[in-house]
Amino acid sequence: MKKLLIAISAIAAAVGFTAKANADISVAGSSNAAYLSTAGNGDDEELAIGTTVDFSMSTTTSGGLGISAGLSLSTDYDSNNGSVATGGRTATFTTGGATIVVGDVEISDTIGSVGGVVNGPLDDASDLSSSVATGFLDDDGMGVELTTAMGDASLNISFVSNDRVDNHGALNSSTSGEDSAMSASITMPLGDYSFTLGVADSDSGESSSGASATASIGGGTLTVGYSNQTLIASGNASLSTAGDSEVVGATYVMSMDADTTISLGYQSAKDADSESHTQTDLSVERAMGGGATVYLDLRNLDGDTAANADGTAIAFGTSVAF
Amino acid sequence: MIKLSLTLFVIVFLQSCSKGLFDGNVQKNMEAMDKIHGVCNNPYREYSKAQRKICEDKERAAGPDGEIGDPLNISQMIRDFRSGGSSTQYKGTSMSINKNLWEASLIMLDKYPLDIVDSQGGFISTGWITEKESPNQRCLIKVNITSQELLSNGAKVKLLCEQKELDVWYQDEISYTNEEKNLTLKILDIANELSLIDKLS
Repeated sequence: MKKLLIAISAIAAAVGFTAKANADISVAGSSNAAYLSTAGNGDDEELAIGTTVDFSMSTTTSGGLGISAGLSLSTDYDSNNGSVATGGRTATFTTGGATIVVGDVEISDTIGSVGGVVNGPLDDASDLSSSVATGFLDDDGMGVELTTAMGDASLNISFVSNDRVDNHGALNSSTSGEDSAMSASITMPLGDYSFTLGVADSDSGESSSGASATASIGGGTLTVGYSNQTLIASGNASLSTAGDSEVVGATYVMSMDADTTISLGYQSAKDADSESHTQTDLSVERAMGGGATVYLDLRNLDGDTAANADGTAIAFGTSVAF
Repeated sequence: MIKLSLTLFVIVFLQSCSKGLFDGNVQKNMEAMDKIHGVCNNPYREYSKAQRKICEDKERAAGPDGEIGDPLNISQMIRDFRSGGSSTQYKGTSMSINKNLWEASLIMLDKYPLDIVDSQGGFISTGWITEKESPNQRCLIKVNITSQELLSNGAKVKLLCEQKELDVWYQDEISYTNEEKNLTLKILDIANELSLIDKLS
Protein backbone atom coordinates (compact mmCIF):
# COMPACT_ATOMS: atom_id res chain seq x y z
CA MET A 1 0.00 0.00 0.00
CA LYS A 2 2.86 2.36 0.81
CA LYS A 3 4.27 1.96 -2.68
CA LEU A 4 0.86 2.72 -4.08
CA LEU A 5 0.57 6.00 -2.19
CA ILE A 6 3.97 7.15 -3.36
CA ALA A 7 2.88 6.56 -6.92
CA ILE A 8 -0.28 8.59 -6.33
CA SER A 9 1.71 11.51 -4.96
CA ALA A 10 3.83 11.43 -8.09
CA ILE A 11 0.70 11.69 -10.19
CA ALA A 12 -0.53 14.67 -8.24
CA ALA A 13 2.75 16.42 -8.88
CA ALA A 14 2.53 15.59 -12.56
CA VAL A 15 -0.95 17.05 -12.74
CA GLY A 16 0.61 20.45 -12.16
CA PHE A 17 -0.62 21.62 -8.79
CA THR A 18 2.76 23.16 -8.16
CA ALA A 19 3.14 24.76 -11.55
CA LYS A 20 3.65 28.51 -11.51
CA ALA A 21 2.04 30.72 -14.11
CA ASN A 22 3.85 34.02 -14.51
CA ALA A 23 2.43 35.33 -17.74
CA ASP A 24 4.06 38.49 -19.01
CA ILE A 25 1.13 39.36 -21.24
CA SER A 26 -2.46 38.73 -20.27
CA VAL A 27 -5.70 39.39 -22.07
CA ALA A 28 -9.04 40.00 -20.37
CA GLY A 29 -12.35 41.10 -21.81
CA SER A 30 -15.99 41.64 -21.12
CA SER A 31 -19.19 42.28 -22.99
CA ASN A 32 -22.37 44.08 -21.98
CA ALA A 33 -25.87 44.06 -23.40
CA ALA A 34 -28.62 46.07 -21.73
CA TYR A 35 -32.15 47.22 -22.33
CA LEU A 36 -32.57 50.80 -21.14
CA SER A 37 -35.69 52.69 -20.36
CA THR A 38 -34.13 56.13 -20.20
CA ALA A 39 -35.59 59.17 -18.50
CA GLY A 40 -34.82 61.98 -20.90
CA ASN A 41 -36.16 63.10 -24.27
CA GLY A 42 -39.48 61.33 -24.22
CA ASP A 43 -38.56 58.31 -22.15
CA ASP A 44 -36.69 56.49 -24.90
CA GLU A 45 -36.25 52.76 -24.94
CA GLU A 46 -32.73 51.88 -25.98
CA LEU A 47 -30.38 48.95 -26.39
CA ALA A 48 -26.76 49.36 -25.33
CA ILE A 49 -24.17 46.78 -26.37
CA GLY A 50 -20.43 47.06 -25.90
CA THR A 51 -17.28 44.96 -25.65
CA THR A 52 -13.90 45.70 -24.14
CA VAL A 53 -10.61 43.83 -24.46
CA ASP A 54 -7.60 44.73 -22.34
CA PHE A 55 -4.01 43.67 -22.90
CA SER A 56 -1.79 43.89 -19.84
CA MET A 57 1.96 43.46 -19.91
CA SER A 58 4.18 43.07 -16.89
CA THR A 59 7.63 42.02 -15.87
CA THR A 60 9.78 41.94 -12.76
CA THR A 61 13.42 42.95 -12.74
CA SER A 62 16.06 40.88 -11.00
CA GLY A 63 15.99 43.47 -8.23
CA GLY A 64 12.28 42.88 -7.63
CA LEU A 65 10.91 45.98 -9.32
CA GLY A 66 7.60 45.27 -11.04
CA ILE A 67 6.85 47.17 -14.23
CA SER A 68 3.53 47.04 -16.04
CA ALA A 69 1.64 48.74 -18.85
CA GLY A 70 -1.42 48.02 -20.95
CA LEU A 71 -3.64 48.87 -23.89
CA SER A 72 -7.36 48.40 -24.39
CA LEU A 73 -9.71 48.09 -27.34
CA SER A 74 -13.36 48.80 -26.84
CA THR A 75 -16.66 49.45 -28.49
CA ASP A 76 -18.43 51.51 -25.88
CA TYR A 77 -22.07 50.90 -25.08
CA ASP A 78 -22.91 54.59 -24.69
CA SER A 79 -22.26 55.63 -28.29
CA ASN A 80 -23.05 54.17 -31.71
CA ASN A 81 -20.05 52.54 -33.41
CA GLY A 82 -17.77 54.14 -30.86
CA SER A 83 -14.75 51.88 -31.23
CA VAL A 84 -11.59 53.19 -29.63
CA ALA A 85 -8.15 52.09 -28.51
CA THR A 86 -7.25 53.51 -25.12
CA GLY A 87 -4.56 53.20 -22.50
CA GLY A 88 -0.85 52.89 -23.10
CA ARG A 89 -0.32 56.29 -21.51
CA THR A 90 0.99 55.10 -18.18
CA ALA A 91 3.81 52.99 -16.84
CA THR A 92 3.43 51.47 -13.40
CA PHE A 93 6.36 50.63 -11.15
CA THR A 94 5.80 48.45 -8.09
CA THR A 95 8.42 48.32 -5.35
CA GLY A 96 8.26 46.57 -2.00
CA GLY A 97 6.79 49.63 -0.37
CA ALA A 98 5.02 51.62 -3.07
CA THR A 99 3.23 51.70 -6.39
CA ILE A 100 4.26 54.55 -8.67
CA VAL A 101 2.34 55.44 -11.83
CA VAL A 102 3.91 57.76 -14.37
CA GLY A 103 1.98 59.26 -17.27
CA ASP A 104 -1.71 60.05 -17.57
CA VAL A 105 -2.86 60.17 -13.95
CA GLU A 106 -6.02 61.48 -12.34
CA ILE A 107 -6.12 63.34 -9.06
CA SER A 108 -8.74 62.44 -6.44
CA ASP A 109 -10.82 65.61 -6.44
CA THR A 110 -14.09 64.01 -5.30
CA ILE A 111 -13.08 62.08 -2.17
CA GLY A 112 -16.23 61.59 -0.11
CA SER A 113 -18.56 61.97 -3.08
CA VAL A 114 -20.41 58.65 -2.88
CA GLY A 115 -23.88 57.43 -3.76
CA GLY A 116 -23.76 55.84 -7.22
CA VAL A 117 -24.27 52.07 -7.42
CA VAL A 118 -25.78 51.39 -10.87
CA ASN A 119 -23.86 49.56 -13.57
CA GLY A 120 -22.11 51.13 -16.55
CA PRO A 121 -24.85 51.19 -19.21
CA LEU A 122 -27.35 53.03 -17.00
CA ASP A 123 -24.66 55.18 -15.42
CA ASP A 124 -23.41 56.27 -18.86
CA ALA A 125 -26.60 56.34 -20.94
CA SER A 126 -29.55 57.05 -18.66
CA ASP A 127 -30.08 60.54 -20.21
CA LEU A 128 -30.38 61.81 -16.64
CA SER A 129 -28.34 64.99 -16.35
CA SER A 130 -27.96 67.13 -13.27
CA SER A 131 -27.30 70.88 -13.49
CA VAL A 132 -25.31 70.77 -10.27
CA ALA A 133 -21.60 71.39 -10.84
CA THR A 134 -19.34 68.87 -9.11
CA GLY A 135 -15.72 67.91 -9.68
CA PHE A 136 -12.83 69.88 -11.16
CA LEU A 137 -13.06 70.99 -14.77
CA ASP A 138 -9.89 69.03 -15.47
CA ASP A 139 -8.63 66.48 -12.99
CA ASP A 140 -6.20 64.47 -15.08
CA GLY A 141 -3.07 64.94 -17.13
CA MET A 142 0.58 64.10 -17.34
CA GLY A 143 2.05 63.46 -13.90
CA VAL A 144 2.96 60.99 -11.20
CA GLU A 145 0.88 59.04 -8.70
CA LEU A 146 2.31 57.33 -5.67
CA THR A 147 0.60 54.92 -3.30
CA THR A 148 2.32 53.64 -0.20
CA ALA A 149 1.61 52.27 3.26
CA MET A 150 2.10 53.81 6.67
CA GLY A 151 1.41 51.01 9.11
CA ASP A 152 -2.17 49.93 8.45
CA ALA A 153 -2.97 53.18 6.68
CA SER A 154 -2.60 53.72 2.94
CA LEU A 155 -1.46 57.01 1.50
CA ASN A 156 -1.96 58.23 -2.05
CA ILE A 157 -0.43 61.35 -3.56
CA SER A 158 -1.15 62.34 -7.14
CA PHE A 159 0.53 65.18 -8.96
CA VAL A 160 -0.48 66.40 -12.42
CA SER A 161 2.19 68.63 -13.88
CA ASN A 162 0.28 69.59 -17.01
CA ASP A 163 -3.46 68.98 -17.21
CA ARG A 164 -3.69 69.69 -20.94
CA VAL A 165 -1.54 66.75 -22.03
CA ASP A 166 -1.57 63.09 -21.07
CA ASN A 167 1.64 61.30 -22.02
CA HIS A 168 3.79 63.84 -23.85
CA GLY A 169 4.17 67.53 -23.21
CA ALA A 170 5.86 70.23 -21.23
CA LEU A 171 6.53 69.91 -17.51
CA ASN A 172 6.06 73.09 -15.46
CA SER A 173 4.46 74.82 -18.43
CA SER A 174 3.82 78.54 -18.14
CA THR A 175 1.25 78.45 -20.93
CA SER A 176 -2.19 79.60 -19.88
CA GLY A 177 -4.54 76.67 -19.40
CA GLU A 178 -1.76 74.18 -18.78
CA ASP A 179 -2.20 73.93 -15.01
CA SER A 180 -0.77 71.66 -12.39
CA ALA A 181 -2.86 69.96 -9.74
CA MET A 182 -2.36 67.60 -6.85
CA SER A 183 -4.30 65.51 -4.39
CA ALA A 184 -3.47 63.60 -1.23
CA SER A 185 -5.65 61.06 0.52
CA ILE A 186 -5.24 58.62 3.35
CA THR A 187 -7.34 55.59 4.27
CA MET A 188 -7.03 54.13 7.73
CA PRO A 189 -8.85 51.43 9.67
CA LEU A 190 -10.12 52.36 13.13
CA GLY A 191 -11.74 49.42 14.85
CA ASP A 192 -14.66 48.20 12.77
CA TYR A 193 -14.59 51.31 10.61
CA SER A 194 -12.46 52.54 7.76
CA PHE A 195 -12.00 56.25 7.15
CA THR A 196 -10.76 58.03 4.05
CA LEU A 197 -9.72 61.68 4.12
CA GLY A 198 -8.57 63.65 1.12
CA VAL A 199 -7.67 67.09 -0.21
CA ALA A 200 -7.04 68.33 -3.74
CA ASP A 201 -5.89 71.59 -5.27
CA SER A 202 -5.42 72.90 -8.79
CA ASP A 203 -3.56 75.95 -10.07
CA SER A 204 -6.73 76.73 -12.04
CA GLY A 205 -8.17 77.96 -8.71
CA GLU A 206 -10.19 74.89 -7.77
CA SER A 207 -9.79 72.93 -4.55
CA SER A 208 -11.65 70.24 -2.64
CA SER A 209 -11.69 68.26 0.57
CA GLY A 210 -13.76 65.31 1.65
CA ALA A 211 -14.11 62.26 3.82
CA SER A 212 -15.89 58.94 3.80
CA ALA A 213 -16.45 56.22 6.38
CA THR A 214 -17.18 52.56 5.74
CA ALA A 215 -18.49 49.97 8.19
CA SER A 216 -20.10 46.53 8.16
CA ILE A 217 -23.62 46.95 9.47
CA GLY A 218 -26.57 44.58 9.40
CA GLY A 219 -24.94 42.02 7.14
CA GLY A 220 -23.95 44.62 4.56
CA THR A 221 -21.42 47.37 3.99
CA LEU A 222 -22.43 50.97 4.63
CA THR A 223 -20.42 53.87 3.24
CA VAL A 224 -21.21 57.51 3.99
CA GLY A 225 -19.34 60.48 2.59
CA TYR A 226 -19.12 64.24 2.38
CA SER A 227 -17.27 66.32 -0.18
CA ASN A 228 -16.76 70.06 -0.42
CA GLN A 229 -15.47 71.44 -3.70
CA THR A 230 -14.53 75.06 -4.45
CA LEU A 231 -15.09 75.41 -8.19
CA ILE A 232 -14.53 78.15 -10.76
CA ALA A 233 -17.27 79.31 -13.09
CA SER A 234 -15.05 80.16 -16.07
CA GLY A 235 -15.37 77.37 -18.61
CA ASN A 236 -17.89 75.47 -16.49
CA ALA A 237 -21.20 75.13 -18.33
CA SER A 238 -22.97 74.04 -15.13
CA LEU A 239 -21.86 76.98 -13.04
CA SER A 240 -22.35 80.75 -13.36
CA THR A 241 -21.06 81.69 -9.90
CA ALA A 242 -17.74 80.51 -8.53
CA GLY A 243 -18.01 78.96 -5.10
CA ASP A 244 -18.56 75.84 -3.08
CA SER A 245 -20.37 72.69 -4.12
CA GLU A 246 -21.32 70.17 -1.46
CA VAL A 247 -22.07 66.49 -1.96
CA VAL A 248 -23.48 64.20 0.73
CA GLY A 249 -24.07 60.54 -0.03
CA ALA A 250 -24.35 57.00 1.19
CA THR A 251 -24.32 53.48 -0.25
CA TYR A 252 -25.33 50.17 1.26
CA VAL A 253 -24.29 46.89 -0.36
CA MET A 254 -25.61 43.56 0.88
CA SER A 255 -25.28 39.94 -0.25
CA MET A 256 -28.56 38.06 -0.47
CA ASP A 257 -26.81 34.71 -1.11
CA ALA A 258 -23.58 33.45 -2.67
CA ASP A 259 -24.54 34.86 -6.08
CA THR A 260 -26.91 37.77 -5.48
CA THR A 261 -26.03 41.31 -4.45
CA ILE A 262 -28.37 44.20 -3.77
CA SER A 263 -27.03 47.77 -3.61
CA LEU A 264 -28.69 51.02 -2.59
CA GLY A 265 -27.31 54.50 -3.13
CA TYR A 266 -28.31 58.01 -2.19
CA GLN A 267 -26.71 61.32 -3.06
CA SER A 268 -27.65 64.94 -2.42
CA ALA A 269 -25.66 67.75 -4.03
CA LYS A 270 -25.80 71.53 -4.13
CA ASP A 271 -23.57 74.07 -5.92
CA ALA A 272 -22.78 77.79 -5.73
CA ASP A 273 -25.68 78.61 -8.09
CA SER A 274 -27.97 77.17 -5.38
CA GLU A 275 -28.95 74.39 -7.76
CA SER A 276 -29.40 71.01 -6.13
CA HIS A 277 -30.28 67.42 -6.93
CA THR A 278 -31.20 64.22 -5.15
CA GLN A 279 -30.19 60.94 -6.76
CA THR A 280 -31.38 57.51 -5.63
CA ASP A 281 -29.96 54.25 -7.00
CA LEU A 282 -30.95 50.61 -6.74
CA SER A 283 -29.05 47.70 -8.26
CA VAL A 284 -29.73 43.97 -8.06
CA GLU A 285 -27.13 41.62 -9.55
CA ARG A 286 -27.21 37.86 -9.94
CA ALA A 287 -24.12 35.87 -10.99
CA MET A 288 -25.10 33.11 -13.40
CA GLY A 289 -21.83 31.17 -13.54
CA GLY A 290 -19.41 30.97 -16.42
CA GLY A 291 -18.65 34.68 -16.08
CA ALA A 292 -22.19 35.86 -16.84
CA THR A 293 -24.31 38.17 -14.71
CA VAL A 294 -27.81 39.56 -15.06
CA TYR A 295 -28.68 42.82 -13.40
CA LEU A 296 -31.56 45.21 -12.85
CA ASP A 297 -30.66 48.84 -12.22
CA LEU A 298 -32.82 51.80 -11.35
CA ARG A 299 -31.85 55.46 -10.96
CA ASN A 300 -34.05 58.36 -9.97
CA LEU A 301 -32.89 61.97 -10.28
CA ASP A 302 -34.86 64.87 -8.86
CA GLY A 303 -34.07 68.57 -8.61
CA ASP A 304 -32.32 70.99 -10.93
CA THR A 305 -31.53 69.18 -14.14
CA ALA A 306 -31.12 69.86 -17.83
CA ALA A 307 -34.36 69.95 -19.85
CA ASN A 308 -36.14 66.56 -19.86
CA ALA A 309 -33.30 65.03 -17.89
CA ASP A 310 -34.91 64.13 -14.60
CA GLY A 311 -37.10 61.23 -13.55
CA THR A 312 -36.44 57.51 -13.37
CA ALA A 313 -34.35 55.36 -15.69
CA ILE A 314 -34.21 51.57 -15.65
CA ALA A 315 -31.77 49.08 -17.14
CA PHE A 316 -32.02 45.33 -17.43
CA GLY A 317 -29.03 43.61 -18.88
CA THR A 318 -26.27 41.10 -18.78
CA SER A 319 -22.52 41.36 -18.60
CA VAL A 320 -20.12 38.57 -19.41
CA ALA A 321 -16.50 38.48 -18.29
CA PHE A 322 -14.24 36.36 -20.48
CA MET B 1 2.24 73.96 -5.67
CA ILE B 2 5.29 72.29 -7.20
CA LYS B 3 7.44 72.79 -4.07
CA LEU B 4 4.69 71.35 -1.89
CA SER B 5 4.18 68.40 -4.22
CA LEU B 6 7.90 67.70 -4.49
CA THR B 7 8.31 67.84 -0.73
CA LEU B 8 5.50 65.36 -0.21
CA PHE B 9 6.86 63.09 -2.91
CA VAL B 10 10.35 63.07 -1.45
CA ILE B 11 9.00 62.22 2.02
CA VAL B 12 6.79 59.46 0.73
CA PHE B 13 9.32 58.13 -1.78
CA LEU B 14 12.00 57.81 0.89
CA GLN B 15 9.68 55.83 3.09
CA SER B 16 8.37 53.72 0.23
CA CYS B 17 11.65 51.90 -0.39
CA SER B 18 11.31 48.42 1.07
CA LYS B 19 8.88 48.77 3.99
CA GLY B 20 9.94 52.35 4.64
CA LEU B 21 10.30 54.36 7.78
CA PHE B 22 6.70 53.72 8.79
CA ASP B 23 6.93 49.93 8.41
CA GLY B 24 3.96 49.69 6.09
CA ASN B 25 2.99 46.88 3.75
CA VAL B 26 1.34 48.39 0.70
CA GLN B 27 0.17 45.05 -0.66
CA LYS B 28 -1.45 44.01 2.61
CA ASN B 29 -3.14 47.39 2.98
CA MET B 30 -4.32 47.25 -0.61
CA GLU B 31 -5.94 43.85 0.00
CA ALA B 32 -7.59 45.21 3.14
CA MET B 33 -9.02 48.11 1.15
CA ASP B 34 -10.16 45.70 -1.58
CA LYS B 35 -12.36 44.07 1.05
CA ILE B 36 -13.81 47.43 2.07
CA HIS B 37 -14.34 49.05 -1.31
CA GLY B 38 -14.21 46.08 -3.66
CA VAL B 39 -11.23 45.46 -5.92
CA CYS B 40 -12.58 47.59 -8.76
CA ASN B 41 -13.62 50.56 -6.64
CA ASN B 42 -10.54 50.63 -4.45
CA PRO B 43 -9.54 54.28 -4.93
CA TYR B 44 -5.88 53.39 -4.59
CA ARG B 45 -5.83 50.93 -7.46
CA GLU B 46 -4.99 52.52 -10.78
CA TYR B 47 -7.32 51.44 -13.59
CA SER B 48 -8.04 52.82 -17.01
CA LYS B 49 -11.73 53.15 -17.84
CA ALA B 50 -11.60 49.95 -19.90
CA GLN B 51 -9.76 48.02 -17.19
CA ARG B 52 -12.26 49.17 -14.57
CA LYS B 53 -15.14 48.08 -16.79
CA ILE B 54 -13.68 44.58 -17.20
CA CYS B 55 -12.84 44.42 -13.49
CA GLU B 56 -16.41 45.32 -12.54
CA ASP B 57 -17.85 42.75 -14.93
CA LYS B 58 -15.55 40.08 -13.46
CA GLU B 59 -16.36 41.08 -9.91
CA ARG B 60 -20.07 41.02 -10.68
CA ALA B 61 -19.74 37.60 -12.35
CA ALA B 62 -17.96 36.26 -9.28
CA GLY B 63 -20.81 37.35 -7.03
CA PRO B 64 -20.57 37.81 -3.27
CA ASP B 65 -18.72 34.52 -2.74
CA GLY B 66 -15.95 35.64 -5.08
CA GLU B 67 -16.08 32.53 -7.26
CA ILE B 68 -17.20 32.22 -10.85
CA GLY B 69 -19.19 28.99 -10.92
CA ASP B 70 -19.82 26.59 -13.75
CA PRO B 71 -22.03 27.98 -16.51
CA LEU B 72 -25.71 27.12 -16.56
CA ASN B 73 -26.33 23.88 -18.42
CA ILE B 74 -29.71 24.30 -20.11
CA SER B 75 -29.75 20.69 -21.39
CA GLN B 76 -29.09 19.40 -17.87
CA MET B 77 -31.85 21.63 -16.50
CA ILE B 78 -34.29 20.24 -19.06
CA ARG B 79 -33.25 16.67 -18.24
CA ASP B 80 -33.67 17.37 -14.52
CA PHE B 81 -37.08 18.92 -15.13
CA ARG B 82 -38.24 15.95 -17.19
CA SER B 83 -36.99 13.44 -14.63
CA GLY B 84 -38.63 15.35 -11.81
CA GLY B 85 -35.35 16.21 -10.14
CA SER B 86 -31.80 15.01 -10.52
CA SER B 87 -31.25 13.16 -13.79
CA THR B 88 -28.96 10.66 -12.05
CA GLN B 89 -30.77 7.39 -11.46
CA TYR B 90 -29.84 5.31 -8.43
CA LYS B 91 -30.58 1.68 -7.87
CA GLY B 92 -32.03 0.91 -4.46
CA THR B 93 -29.98 1.37 -1.32
CA SER B 94 -27.09 -0.96 -2.14
CA MET B 95 -24.06 0.25 -4.03
CA SER B 96 -24.90 0.43 -7.73
CA ILE B 97 -21.35 0.90 -8.90
CA ASN B 98 -18.25 -1.24 -9.01
CA LYS B 99 -16.81 -1.68 -5.54
CA ASN B 100 -13.18 -1.90 -6.69
CA LEU B 101 -13.38 1.20 -8.86
CA TRP B 102 -15.00 3.06 -5.97
CA GLU B 103 -12.40 2.01 -3.41
CA ALA B 104 -9.59 2.72 -5.87
CA SER B 105 -10.93 6.26 -6.32
CA LEU B 106 -11.02 6.81 -2.56
CA ILE B 107 -7.47 5.47 -2.18
CA MET B 108 -6.20 7.70 -4.95
CA LEU B 109 -7.78 10.79 -3.41
CA ASP B 110 -7.14 10.01 0.24
CA LYS B 111 -4.51 12.73 0.67
CA TYR B 112 -6.96 15.43 -0.36
CA PRO B 113 -9.99 16.86 1.46
CA LEU B 114 -13.21 15.44 0.05
CA ASP B 115 -16.26 17.68 -0.34
CA ILE B 116 -18.70 15.18 -1.85
CA VAL B 117 -18.64 11.41 -1.38
CA ASP B 118 -21.77 9.83 -2.85
CA SER B 119 -21.38 6.06 -2.83
CA GLN B 120 -24.84 5.57 -4.33
CA GLY B 121 -24.22 7.83 -7.28
CA GLY B 122 -20.56 6.86 -7.52
CA PHE B 123 -19.43 10.46 -7.33
CA ILE B 124 -16.49 11.96 -5.46
CA SER B 125 -15.36 15.57 -5.50
CA THR B 126 -12.38 16.89 -3.63
CA GLY B 127 -12.33 20.32 -2.06
CA TRP B 128 -10.10 22.97 -3.59
CA ILE B 129 -6.51 21.80 -3.52
CA THR B 130 -3.86 24.47 -3.12
CA GLU B 131 -0.14 24.40 -2.70
CA LYS B 132 1.89 26.86 -0.65
CA GLU B 133 4.14 27.49 -3.64
CA SER B 134 1.23 28.47 -5.88
CA PRO B 135 -1.23 30.51 -3.80
CA ASN B 136 -2.88 31.88 -6.93
CA GLN B 137 -3.79 28.48 -8.36
CA ARG B 138 -6.16 25.83 -7.08
CA CYS B 139 -7.66 22.66 -8.52
CA LEU B 140 -10.25 20.09 -7.67
CA ILE B 141 -10.77 16.54 -8.90
CA LYS B 142 -14.14 14.99 -9.68
CA VAL B 143 -14.47 11.24 -10.12
CA ASN B 144 -17.57 9.58 -11.41
CA ILE B 145 -17.86 5.77 -11.35
CA THR B 146 -20.37 4.80 -14.00
CA SER B 147 -20.16 1.03 -14.17
CA GLN B 148 -21.07 -1.93 -12.00
CA GLU B 149 -18.34 -3.94 -13.73
CA LEU B 150 -14.61 -3.35 -13.60
CA LEU B 151 -14.40 -1.81 -17.07
CA SER B 152 -11.81 0.54 -18.54
CA ASN B 153 -14.49 3.12 -19.25
CA GLY B 154 -16.11 2.71 -15.82
CA ALA B 155 -14.40 5.69 -14.25
CA LYS B 156 -14.47 9.28 -15.47
CA VAL B 157 -12.16 11.89 -14.02
CA LYS B 158 -12.53 15.63 -14.42
CA LEU B 159 -9.94 18.14 -13.29
CA LEU B 160 -10.95 21.76 -12.74
CA CYS B 161 -8.42 24.44 -12.01
CA GLU B 162 -8.76 28.15 -11.23
CA GLN B 163 -6.44 31.12 -11.22
CA LYS B 164 -6.72 34.08 -8.89
CA GLU B 165 -6.61 37.54 -10.40
CA LEU B 166 -7.25 40.65 -8.34
CA ASP B 167 -8.53 38.51 -5.48
CA VAL B 168 -11.15 36.82 -7.66
CA TRP B 169 -10.96 33.18 -8.79
CA TYR B 170 -11.49 32.39 -12.47
CA GLN B 171 -11.50 29.08 -14.32
CA ASP B 172 -8.21 28.82 -16.15
CA GLU B 173 -9.89 27.34 -19.27
CA ILE B 174 -7.00 24.90 -19.66
CA SER B 175 -7.76 21.36 -20.82
CA TYR B 176 -6.18 18.75 -18.57
CA THR B 177 -6.94 15.80 -20.83
CA ASN B 178 -3.62 14.02 -20.25
CA GLU B 179 -3.75 14.52 -16.50
CA GLU B 180 -7.34 13.25 -16.37
CA LYS B 181 -6.29 10.24 -18.43
CA ASN B 182 -3.37 9.53 -16.06
CA LEU B 183 -5.65 9.74 -13.05
CA THR B 184 -8.18 7.42 -14.70
CA LEU B 185 -5.43 4.91 -15.50
CA LYS B 186 -4.24 5.09 -11.89
CA ILE B 187 -7.76 4.33 -10.64
CA LEU B 188 -7.93 1.36 -13.00
CA ASP B 189 -4.52 0.12 -11.83
CA ILE B 190 -5.50 0.30 -8.18
CA ALA B 191 -8.90 -1.25 -8.88
CA ASN B 192 -7.24 -4.10 -10.73
CA GLU B 193 -4.93 -4.76 -7.78
CA LEU B 194 -7.86 -4.69 -5.37
CA SER B 195 -9.74 -7.08 -7.60
CA LEU B 196 -6.81 -9.52 -7.60
CA ILE B 197 -6.58 -9.29 -3.80
CA ASP B 198 -10.32 -10.02 -3.59
CA LYS B 199 -9.91 -13.09 -5.78
CA LEU B 200 -6.96 -14.37 -3.75
CA SER B 201 -8.65 -13.92 -0.39
